[in-house]
This record gives sequence, structure tokens and C-alpha cells, in this order.
Amino acid sequence: MFMHVFKYRLKCLIRDRDTLFWTAAFPLLLGTMFYFAFGNLMGSSGGSEPVKVAVVNSPEYRNNTYLQLMLGVLSTAGEDQLLDMTLTTESQAQRLLDEGKVAGIITVSADEGVGDSGSSPARLTVTQSGLGQSILKAVLDEYLHTSATATSVLSRGSVDVSELVARLRNRRSYTQQISYSDALPDYMLGYFYALVAMAALYAGLWGMRNTMDIQADLSDKGARRSVAPTHKLAVVMGDWTASLLISFGEMLILLAYLVFALKVDIGDQIGYVLLTCLAGCIAGLSFGTVIGTLFRKSEGTKVATLVASSNLLCFLAGLMYLDMKDIVARKAPVLSYINPAALIADAFYSLYIFDNHRRFFLNIGLLCGFSAVMCFVSFLRLRSEKYASI
Amino acid sequence: MQVFRAYFKVLRAYAGSIAIYMAIFIGISTLIWRASPRSVVTEFFETKTPVAVINRDGDAPLAQGLADYIADNFTVVPYPDDPEKLQDALFYRKVHYVVIIPEGFSAGFMAAGANDEPVIQKVILPDSMSSHYVDMRIDKFLNAAGIYRDFGSPSRLTETAEDRQAQIVAAVREDLRAETPVILRVAGNAGENSVQESDEAYATYCAYSSYALLAMVILGISSAMLAFNRRDLRLRNLCTPMPKRSLEARLAVGHCLFALGCWAILALVGIALNGTEVFGSGRGWLYLLNCLAFTAVATSIGFAAGHFAKTSSAQSGVVNVVALGMSFLGGAFVPQSVMSQSVLVFSRFLPSYWYIRAIDATKALAGSVSGNVYPIYGYMLIQLGFAAAIFSVTLLFSKERQMTEL
Repeated sequence: MFMHVFKYRLKCLIRDRDTLFWTAAFPLLLGTMFYFAFGNLMGSSGGSEPVKVAVVNSPEYRNNTYLQLMLGVLSTAGEDQLLDMTLTTESQAQRLLDEGKVAGIITVSADEGVGDSGSSPARLTVTQSGLGQSILKAVLDEYLHTSATATSVLSRGSVDVSELVARLRNRRSYTQQISYSDALPDYMLGYFYALVAMAALYAGLWGMRNTMDIQADLSDKGARRSVAPTHKLAVVMGDWTASLLISFGEMLILLAYLVFALKVDIGDQIGYVLLTCLAGCIAGLSFGTVIGTLFRKSEGTKVATLVASSNLLCFLAGLMYLDMKDIVARKAPVLSYINPAALIADAFYSLYIFDNHRRFFLNIGLLCGFSAVMCFVSFLRLRSEKYASI
Repeated sequence: MQVFRAYFKVLRAYAGSIAIYMAIFIGISTLIWRASPRSVVTEFFETKTPVAVINRDGDAPLAQGLADYIADNFTVVPYPDDPEKLQDALFYRKVHYVVIIPEGFSAGFMAAGANDEPVIQKVILPDSMSSHYVDMRIDKFLNAAGIYRDFGSPSRLTETAEDRQAQIVAAVREDLRAETPVILRVAGNAGENSVQESDEAYATYCAYSSYALLAMVILGISSAMLAFNRRDLRLRNLCTPMPKRSLEARLAVGHCLFALGCWAILALVGIALNGTEVFGSGRGWLYLLNCLAFTAVATSIGFAAGHFAKTSSAQSGVVNVVALGMSFLGGAFVPQSVMSQSVLVFSRFLPSYWYIRAIDATKALAGSVSGNVYPIYGYMLIQLGFAAAIFSVTLLFSKERQMTEL
């Protein structure tokens, strides 16, 4: 009997084009929008371009060999290029700054060279405060500070000047990059994880559809199925399995689209990813079932309630504003432990970013707990229901 | 008048759903409004990149001195030495740089020669300029310290290793005190500068309002049309003594009034949130006019949706897809400047692209209206062109459909 119910339920659900649109097409569409809008930002942290600067080619600048050398090294093309320097006249530099083509102008007023400290020979002209401007200032400060150190050391005498100069020219890098895992902390991925969470919660529309079609007081179909001699559990399980199959299939399509078409990085632990999707679909379905059984209003109101609450949960998981997930996790941690959308997004995130699976399994465990509670609540409401009149 | 009354009666039934969009939009706008800066910028501020400092070298004076120097130049966000928390912090951009001073760093640094010095470990965001910025400061501090170590520290008669470290730190900090003079040139006086700031907030509001405008206008107009286009109702209306043309004219006036109402509400909310400063310079009127042009676009799309959507579920699909799609692709949510060129080439075929272009151009006028405003009117005309095209195509198709239906 179960197989019979399952088969016809599958056929029935797959012809529900409205729900198909919201559960399958809409997440695909939103993913595409995300990709178009900030796909450009993926894989980078933004602002990796060298800082554009205009240097006034004055006689003072040409006489200042140390500054020339320093700026020259920093503007050498390569991975560590920090500056993009334009050597130009004062008026041209002003024009470039006014047009926003450079972040600032470096002007050397008097040649004081390495050796004098206190007053600065170089000054910076900018039109706003920002990272590029701060880097320019740090470059010039560097020059100033090195001069100060050299002066201070020289003033104590008994120093081999040529050795000191050689040392000053040969600056060392004292930082070594390490990383906690191989994953790049790509901020934009968070939006796609929240999107998968949204798709999972939208599976609730199938769960709600099931409750409409099984309760005698909600639809004619429900009434007809209630008087059939089939055991209620077989019917419920058949409906459930069919909708789970459909929503899981939709989820796979979404994942395939994200990974292969939009090149979203979900890591390479495919088994765990699928487990998350399955747990997510079950959570979504049971959430929809609860709303479908607890609210005794019209179908429109139920759909609106489900969609609005799903969207709220997704908002808290960072779908519209990614920092929200982190804010909730810090300000109201309990909320992020019971919000299925946050759990799904965080499961993806922890799979991607952490080497161990502690946090991943915590998320999956909580997600299963959420589903169990939801199923239990709807079971209490659905079981042995009697209708005096409908 | 009867048609007119019926029109707004229909709309009243949908007031709830329309209000939801409005409420969501006002909520988001308020959040943005609270987040956007309104301070007057008259001096230069260095960017204080957020960093986390994990000092495993404890109280050693050199490590402490470095940590203090970092704290003076950057915003240090306190985090425990827990990789999971730090990874979270990096992913969510709470910090851009994690500095790890390894255990025994200070002693190792002091004992080392020029070639076997220990290093500071860092965890950074990939290719970000801000990490170079932090690198520069750390390298500067340690290079100076290295010079004092190798070329005679302030006094060679030091007693303990700690004292020597402390003296080096003091000497280095003294050297690093000097600052390059920075001249901040602003167009006009400080007063105008503050106008600029509030312009930014208002421009962002206008960009976001395109989403609300599209959603509300399309939903409202298509709902009303769906009701009037119901086959039975339409056939009944056709056989009344009222000429078809005058019925449709009244509906059109209804559409326009409704759309204008939405525009007016959004304009008033914008003024309530951002104040009227932006109108003092005349740019406020440009923003409003631009928004009105976009209202025409929204009206035409609502008109098309009302004609082509047959069921209310198809209608809600259209509302969401069009409003979200146009806003995302046109650059309402994410600035056009960070979108990829290939997407922008495609976006040119959307009216929302020109709406945002006009907002950006108006914002760039900053200061006075004496700049070149003609391109902005051009952008508005393009939007009106889109509206006219959508109207015409819809009318063409609807005429054909009426022929086949009857």
C-alpha cells in the first residue's frame, strides 16, 4: 500500500507547478542574481589593486635618492606591488587627484635626505581618508622613521656608516603567512550557503501541501483520503517520502548548478555535503508540516506564514545581510542553535573552513533534533483526529 | 467614478501584501540610515585595520612593545588564542589580520644574528591591501629594533635581557613618533562637505527604494488588472453602456494615481529619514525626478504583468522575479562599481541600470548643480523610453489576445 500511495503522491506533487517554481526555480534564480551582483567579488577580499599615486617630479625629488629608491621598489610590478606610481608635474598631479585617478600626491619640498630627522621633506596631499591614503602615509612615514633611526644610531658614534646604510637598504620582512586550513575565507560564500538554507526551508511548502491533502477539514482531497481504509501512517509516510525525494532532488539540482555553473566552492567532502542537504530537507519538510497542522487558516495565509517565517529565519542566517549570522551567534547564541537556516548555513561553512568535524556534527545533530521536535508536534496534532462535522 | 471606486476597492484588498513590502523596505532603510556616516570630515584619519593580536610570548618587553605599537596604529579586536574563533573572525571580516607572536620570540630575536631571526606569524585575508598595510608597520618596528640590536643599542651597559629589550622598544617608539604631514583638500568649505555625507545616505536610500517601488507598483497594478480582466467580469463590463475606451481610461488614471501614491510615500519616507538638506542644493529634486521616471517604468511593468499573468501565483512569481532581478542586476543592492563589466554590459538593457546611473551621476555632482546635469536628464529619458516600449508591446499583445478571445 505504501508504494501505491508513494507513487501517486509523487506524480501529484510533481504536477504542482506553483510549488515547483518556489522550491526549485526560485533558489536557482536567486543564486544567479547573487552571482551576477557579486560574483566579481568572489575569491578576493576586495581592494587588492596597487595604490595609485602621483609623485611631483621636482628637482628636490630627483635629488632624494633614498626616497626614489624606496618608491621604485614598492612600485615594481609583481605580486607584492604596493604602489602604482605616476611621475608628473605639479599641475598634472592636481588634475589626476581631482579626477580621482590617484589616491594622493607626494610632494618633496626640500632635500634633507637620510640623516636629518624631525621635519619631513615629503608631504602627502589627499582628498579623502581611506586605506589607499593610509598606505601612502605609511610609506612616507617609513621614510621618516628610517631617517630618525639612522640619525639616532649615528649620533652615538662608533658605527660603520657604510654597513649601516647597507643594512637600511636591505629591509627584512618579519612576517610569515600561515593558515589554519586550506580554505580561503571568502566572505561571499556565506550568501550562497544561506541560499542553500533558504532552498531547504522552502521544502516546507511540500510539507504544508501534504498536510492540506490529508486533513479532512482542510480539503476535499483530505476528506476523501481520510475515509479510505488505508492506514493513516502508510499515507503519511508515503506522502513524506515522496516530498522528501522531490525536495532532495531539487536540492541536488541547486547544488550542481552552484558548483558547476556558478563555481561556488563547497569544499570536496561530498558525502558530508549531501548529508547536510538531506538533513536540511527533512528539517524544512517538518517545519512546513508543523505550520500546516498548527495553523487552521486558509491556504493563502498558511503559505504566507511559512514563507515569511522562512525568510525571517534566513535573514537571521545571513541571506540578506551576511553579518547578521555572526551578530546573532554572538548576541543571542541560543537563537543560532535553534534556527534551522543558521544550522544548515553553518554546517556548510564549518565543512568548508574547519579541518575537524566537531562543529559540523553539532550543527547536524541540532538540525536532526529540530526535525524530531517538529515531527513530534505535528504527530500529536495529526494522530487519531476526529471530526464531528466538516 | 464607479470604475474608479471599484479600482481602489480591489487595491484595498491587497493593501496588506503591499504594506508588507513597504514595511520591510522601511525597516531595511532605517538600518542603512543608522549605519551610514553623517560626520563632517575636516581632517585626515588613518585607516585603522581591525587586527587580532595573539601574544604567546607573554610579558617579554619586545613582544609587549610590538603589541602596544600595533594597538596604537590599528584597531585591536580582543580574541582568545582559539583557531576556530579566529577563523570565524576572519571569515566575517571582524578582523583582517591575525598577528601571532610566537613563544620565545623576543629572546630569539635578541639572540639572533642578522640572518636567523624568528618571524611573526600572520593569518590574513587573501590578496587584501590591508594586510600589506599591517605588514609594513610590523616590519618597520622590527627592522628598527634590529638596527638598534646590531648597531649599538642606546646603552651597551645593560643589565638584564629584559632591560635591553625595553630600551630598544623605547628607542624604536621614539623614532616612530614622527609623522608625515598630510594635507586634506576638500572641495568647498566644511559645510558643503557635510551635505556630501548626507547625500550618500540619501542616494543609497533612493537606490534601495527601486526595489520597493517595483514590488509595490507591480503588485498593486497587476492585482487590480487581474480582477478587472476576469473573463466574466470583463464580458459584463463590455456590454455596459460605458464605452470601452472610457473604462480603460479610468483604469489608466487609477494605475497612475496608485503609482504616484507609492512614489510620494517613498519620497516622504526618504525625507523623514534623511532630512531636507539634500534639497537645499537642488540635487534632491533630481533624485525625486529620477525616481518619478522609474515609477513610470514600474507602472509599465505592472501593466504588462497584469496582462500576461493569468493567476495570482504567477503574478507573485513575476513580482519577485522582476523586482529582485532588476534590483540585483541594475546595481541597486550592490554598487555598479564592484560588479563585473560583462554583467554591466547586459544590465544596460534594463531600466534599473539607468536609474542607478542617474543616482550615481547626481551624487557625483556634490557641491552644486552647476556641474553637467544633462547626462542625468538623458538617463531619465532612457527610462521613459523603456516605459513607453513596454506599454506599447503590452498594448499590441493585448489587442491580439482580445481578438482571439471573443
